[in-house]
Amino acid sequence: MNLNLLAIVAQTALLLLLAPLVSGVIKNWKAKLQNRRGAPVWQPYLDLAKFLRKDMVISEHASWVFSFAPYVVFLTALLVGLMMPLVTLQAPLDLFGGALALVGTLALGRFFLALGGLDPASAFGGMGSSREMTLSAIAEPAMILAIFTVAIAAGSTSLSEMVRVGQSSGWTFFDPAHALAFAALFIVLLAETGRLPVDNPATHLELTMIHEAMLLEYSGRYLALMEWGAAIKQLVLMALLANLFFPLGLAADGTPAALGLGLLWFCAKLLVLVGAVVLVETTNAKLRLFRVPDLLSAAFMLALLALVSTFLFK
Amino acid sequence: MTAPASEAASRLIPLLATLMLVFQLLLVVQRMLITNIRLFALQSLALTAIAAVVAYAYGAWHVLVVAVLTLVGKVIFLPWLLTRLVRRIKIAQEVRPFVNMPASMLICGALTVLASVVARPFTSLERLGSNTLPVALTLLLTGFFLMLNRRKAITQVLALLTTENGVMLAAIALTTYGMPLVVEMAIFFDVVVGVMVLGLLVFRIRESFDSMDVSKLNELKW
Repeated sequence: MNLNLLAIVAQTALLLLLAPLVSGVIKNWKAKLQNRRGAPVWQPYLDLAKFLRKDMVISEHASWVFSFAPYVVFLTALLVGLMMPLVTLQAPLDLFGGALALVGTLALGRFFLALGGLDPASAFGGMGSSREMTLSAIAEPAMILAIFTVAIAAGSTSLSEMVRVGQSSGWTFFDPAHALAFAALFIVLLAETGRLPVDNPATHLELTMIHEAMLLEYSGRYLALMEWGAAIKQLVLMALLANLFFPLGLAADGTPAALGLGLLWFCAKLLVLVGAVVLVETTNAKLRLFRVPDLLSAAFMLALLALVSTFLFK
Repeated sequence: MTAPASEAASRLIPLLATLMLVFQLLLVVQRMLITNIRLFALQSLALTAIAAVVAYAYGAWHVLVVAVLTLVGKVIFLPWLLTRLVRRIKIAQEVRPFVNMPASMLICGALTVLASVVARPFTSLERLGSNTLPVALTLLLTGFFLMLNRRKAITQVLALLTTENGVMLAAIALTTYGMPLVVEMAIFFDVVVGVMVLGLLVFRIRESFDSMDVSKLNELKW
């Protein structure tokens, strides 16, 4: 594996620039669907710029972990993004582990996010961290099983290899097991990005918040890093769904035409996925916290059945 | 009936069958009554799509009648009827099952695996895809489980309807592209009339017991 520096820089730029736009589009479409005018799609950029300019207020009880966590969260999200084939078939960073490294790196980011919530010892932060860890303990196995279903069909745990096999076998790659795995991973996507049936991204209501609760103590630059990291993680998970199950139009080589087409396909797939997320968010009410494990256990069962059915339905 | 069409159909049918399975499993975890009804409608829509694909790809045009009947009856009419019933009797929206959700999910997963194992010897008989019969059996088994697990009469009606979806799927998968039309129509009208009668019954139960909980029906006097 050669490290293509140009590809790394390009994909980093793509992740940094596209991630806030995706959150902006979700917010805007959601507002439109609810008969509101909604903030413009570039609002997240303005928010991030404002956060970066502002001073930080840090609790005097906070230790170094508090200042360390935003960097870890941001960098792990970026690292996971580099391991994922977004526009090209070959992911820029494909050194080790593939899908397992992706899940592990995400878990590292989540661990530090929870630590950052706990560290200033505010009541809400601890509550948020505890909820996040509880839910991710169920969501993560479902995600791993769902990815493994594709990995078995492709015969490799390397994400680039999975996408390549998927593309070469055309649309016949999407078999029944994949449908189950896709459904499971979609529920995991909703849970991991703090979307509506699980967590409400629009409010700071103390009874319901999960992700927001951990960020309450953060401000200024650190908050910008946290928010940006969350947006990148959301983009990467959506790319995982889009490219793993529908590996259409990914650029095989570095020619401008292929890259442009790849980018176009990627954006189209993202928009469809955003539409689905918005539809789910508008038509569903927030689940009570103790009901969320029910939903996630459904995701787990779907993923498990997907894995079993790759052997049973052959 | 050209080769590419039947090739595409043999890909599409297992996929749609799996979609039916996904809807069934979501039905098991979903607690809101209205969403339950919508999920059932979506599942019937997948069945309609299967029937339409079979009719188109294999030139079995009498299956198209089944597709149209399913579309009109189970995607549009019955969900509308049930939704109206739910609205009219103003029952609490939440389904309260006997077994909790993760456990019932596990049971349904086990039933799915059981159905696949049982259906395995018959895979040579199936003409359409390798998983339609297992999915049909799964719909039957989980439908029965749902009927046992739910308290309210109206959710039991829904469970009965998903069971019937399973029977239809098995009929399309196993026999020569569907049973004779007369039998299909008979089953279909049986179900529609059955649901209408059950709907009335639900209404009466609700009137006299102030509840739809069928576990209260075992007391003779109240």
